[in-house]
Amino acid sequence: MSAREDQSIDFTLDTASELASAEHGPIEGKSPWTLAWRRLRRNYVALASLGVFLLVVVVCCLAPVYAHDVAHTGPNSVHLGETIKIHGKEVPVVSIGYMETIKGVVHFHAGGAPLGPQWGAAGGRYILGGDQLGRDTAVRILYGGLNSLRVGILSAAICIMMAVTLALLAGFYRGSVDWVISRFFDLVWAFPAILLAIALGAALSLNGIHWGPIHVSGGNIWIPTFVIAFVTVPYVGRPLRGQVLSLREKEFVEAARGQGASNVRIMFREILPNIASTVLVLFTLIVAGNILIEAGLSFLGAGVQPPNPSWGNLIADGEDRIQTAPWLAIVPGVAIVITAVSLNIFGDGLRDALDPRAKVRVGR
Amino acid sequence: MAVAAVVVLAATAAGYGAVRTTHKTTTTATAQSKSFPLLKLSWEAPDYFDPALSYTVEGWEVLWNVYAGLLGYKHVNGADGGTVIPYLAAKMPTISNGGKLFKFTLRSNLKYSNGQAVKASDFKCTIERDYQMSSPGVGFFSSIQGATAYSKLKAAAMKKGNISGIVTNDSAGTIEIKLTHPEGDMLNILATEFAAFVPCGTPASDQSTHPTPATGPYEIVKYTPHQSFTLEKNPNFDAQIPGIPSGNAQKIVATIYTDNAQAAQSVASNHSDYDFLAIPTDRLGSYEQKYGKRIRIYTPADTFYFFLNQKYAPFNNIKAREAVDYAISRKQMVQLFGGLAVPTENILPPNYKAYKKITAFPVNGDMAKAKQLVAQSGTTGDSVTLWTPSVEPDQSIIEYEQSILNQLGYKTTLKVIDPQIYFSTIENQSTKAQTGYVDWYQDYPNPIDWFDVLFNGERITQTNNNDVGNTNVPSINKQIDKLKTKQPSAAVNAGWAKVDRELVTQDYAAAPYVTRSGTDFFSTRMNMGCYVFNVLYQWDFATACLK
Repeated sequence: MSAREDQSIDFTLDTASELASAEHGPIEGKSPWTLAWRRLRRNYVALASLGVFLLVVVVCCLAPVYAHDVAHTGPNSVHLGETIKIHGKEVPVVSIGYMETIKGVVHFHAGGAPLGPQWGAAGGRYILGGDQLGRDTAVRILYGGLNSLRVGILSAAICIMMAVTLALLAGFYRGSVDWVISRFFDLVWAFPAILLAIALGAALSLNGIHWGPIHVSGGNIWIPTFVIAFVTVPYVGRPLRGQVLSLREKEFVEAARGQGASNVRIMFREILPNIASTVLVLFTLIVAGNILIEAGLSFLGAGVQPPNPSWGNLIADGEDRIQTAPWLAIVPGVAIVITAVSLNIFGDGLRDALDPRAKVRVGR
Repeated sequence: MAVAAVVVLAATAAGYGAVRTTHKTTTTATAQSKSFPLLKLSWEAPDYFDPALSYTVEGWEVLWNVYAGLLGYKHVNGADGGTVIPYLAAKMPTISNGGKLFKFTLRSNLKYSNGQAVKASDFKCTIERDYQMSSPGVGFFSSIQGATAYSKLKAAAMKKGNISGIVTNDSAGTIEIKLTHPEGDMLNILATEFAAFVPCGTPASDQSTHPTPATGPYEIVKYTPHQSFTLEKNPNFDAQIPGIPSGNAQKIVATIYTDNAQAAQSVASNHSDYDFLAIPTDRLGSYEQKYGKRIRIYTPADTFYFFLNQKYAPFNNIKAREAVDYAISRKQMVQLFGGLAVPTENILPPNYKAYKKITAFPVNGDMAKAKQLVAQSGTTGDSVTLWTPSVEPDQSIIEYEQSILNQLGYKTTLKVIDPQIYFSTIENQSTKAQTGYVDWYQDYPNPIDWFDVLFNGERITQTNNNDVGNTNVPSINKQIDKLKTKQPSAAVNAGWAKVDRELVTQDYAAAPYVTRSGTDFFSTRMNMGCYVFNVLYQWDFATACLK
């Protein structure tokens, strides 16, 4: 039966050539990546999610521009005791309180309350208000996003690099190499990731890392980055190891060996491309997860160290003021949700697009 | 001395309108004698509940009604609360030999909460246990004969040795304390929790979670660090110490909070009866409007300052230390306390007779001069680590100091740690803490407790070191050693004022910034007529009563 006679067909790679010859001109071979992109292009929800994530990234990357040109302050700049002009009137950034003794009687005037959200009333400054040190909340949320995204993306990249390398070594060499690497995965996996991250993060952020020539101070952002990368390695390494074990037995590997390819070449030129799609999907999902882990660590004081903002420690700071200034905790929380959800949805869409056994019904 | 007679509360016009409330404090407790089953408290994490180790207000405000020593303080409001009275001692001691010999006799039939008899030798065991545990209070007892030699023994030798200057007789119930030289504050020292009796044989290790038997009206029956503690009436107290109230609450359960807002909310919603933590600054105005009658504002004798460790760069350079004093705006820092503070440049609080106000630095700070001093010191670009407990407003205070040091050109890192281990961490020399948060509330109303404890270089220790800045100026040490042998007088007060000024304006030993006031916040069922605030131990829960 020809394609035209059947009103709905299963579109697979095998039928691509039939369709091409039935439709227009000579057959052009399409790489799996091109076909995957075609599938992804049709998944509007996934693309929209990617758009949302990219928007978050762009907005956070513009934090220095916003801080310099709109808010005119830095994320850690303290403005205690300063005033700003709102509707032509000088208003203290943090309300003035004091105690005074008049005729032996002590009078107390409550102060210390930070400015609330000004939106546009202060010429772009303190749009979301300030904190107890007079720091601009909106600036800190943007910079917090920058730090959270930086930690999330970098830690995912490091995790992927470590996991791929270990998975290739374990799956290809098998034997004692596989045994050692698998036990390492088991050991790290045995600890709940968040608890292990908290323990490592708290210890290393206090003392820093001082191993031989490596000196990283406790407040450095690389500490939570490496900690999160380390604890998530097994979550990527183990599934990849399984794939490598399977691919190792394929004929193309045998053929490459027969042609005299070295083990390293086989691992990185033959096997790695075949797990690339899995790696890509895992990367997007791991980024989302790592952003959440970072938020949790920073909330508990074991991640990004104050005064540097991150969404997690901004939620912790805002927790104290949840009744009087709830936006301080809610805004970074919503930002985390939007970022993580958009990445997860895009990751799901990417997985559907990259899976070679996907079937798309084409109605005629 | 502390506490104004009348406190008027007013809210700013900035958002909350103006409220005037007048609270008259009474000089004696007007407690009803009616007991009630349960008192619930919202508390802050104590460092320890072992009387040998605890050295915070969070700990002592509890231990005061649990562990008693030979002497103690009156459970009353006002300056009279600083008067020393006999607790386990039958009467005030006989002092002879030029102030170097103190003789006490124990009250008869004293018992611990477990029924064990209180013996005179328990005092000797208590002090020796302090030394065995490197208690932060050992410096107080250094003038006792044999104490210095005992402190130098190794752990195993300490168990076999003893402090020769303490002689006890269990059958007669007598205690003799021989000093190497007169001590002007010896009675106050014997009234501290470090001298509170524990039975001989109590292990020389932290017993916070296995509380030792009590001699006060309450005993600690359970303590879970970071979570809660429970007190119950001491069944063997039986009003054995006349100066201590027997307590109205049969049982006291305290929840430990790290979040001021949660603690305040627990009392606002009447889930708890008392909030030890300060009301969050952003709620002070609204709470005063809503709950004014349930709030008491008190001004204890305290000073908040940044310690500047002279052992390590950059603060081993005097100009770097001076720069910090010039850079900070004490007026701005008052806002970090919601206005419940007064700027200060003195180490001594203003309610001391020896206090003479220092006005050496601009109250709004002088950043230009500070930068000049840093440039002169040659320490620009040095790395500085600041230390703070992870509670407010402490963390905000140190973040403020960090912003100041950044402006001065230093490369700063912040270390935020749990409040329960904060002081033991920074007081450990191996931590090498350069600068950070310190607050000091008087142990007893005598300048010795400030200058000898905090700034006498001869009392620097390896652990539990109260002289966190490692201040060690021989001329000042000498002045302190001389003044502390004398009883208070106008001349002695002038001497202390001179020490205060030299430490701050010549050695720049620390950077004091405020004297803070606090809030006591109560639930609706609490009878405010029973409120007793002691100048040393703050709110006296033994006098608490219900409406």
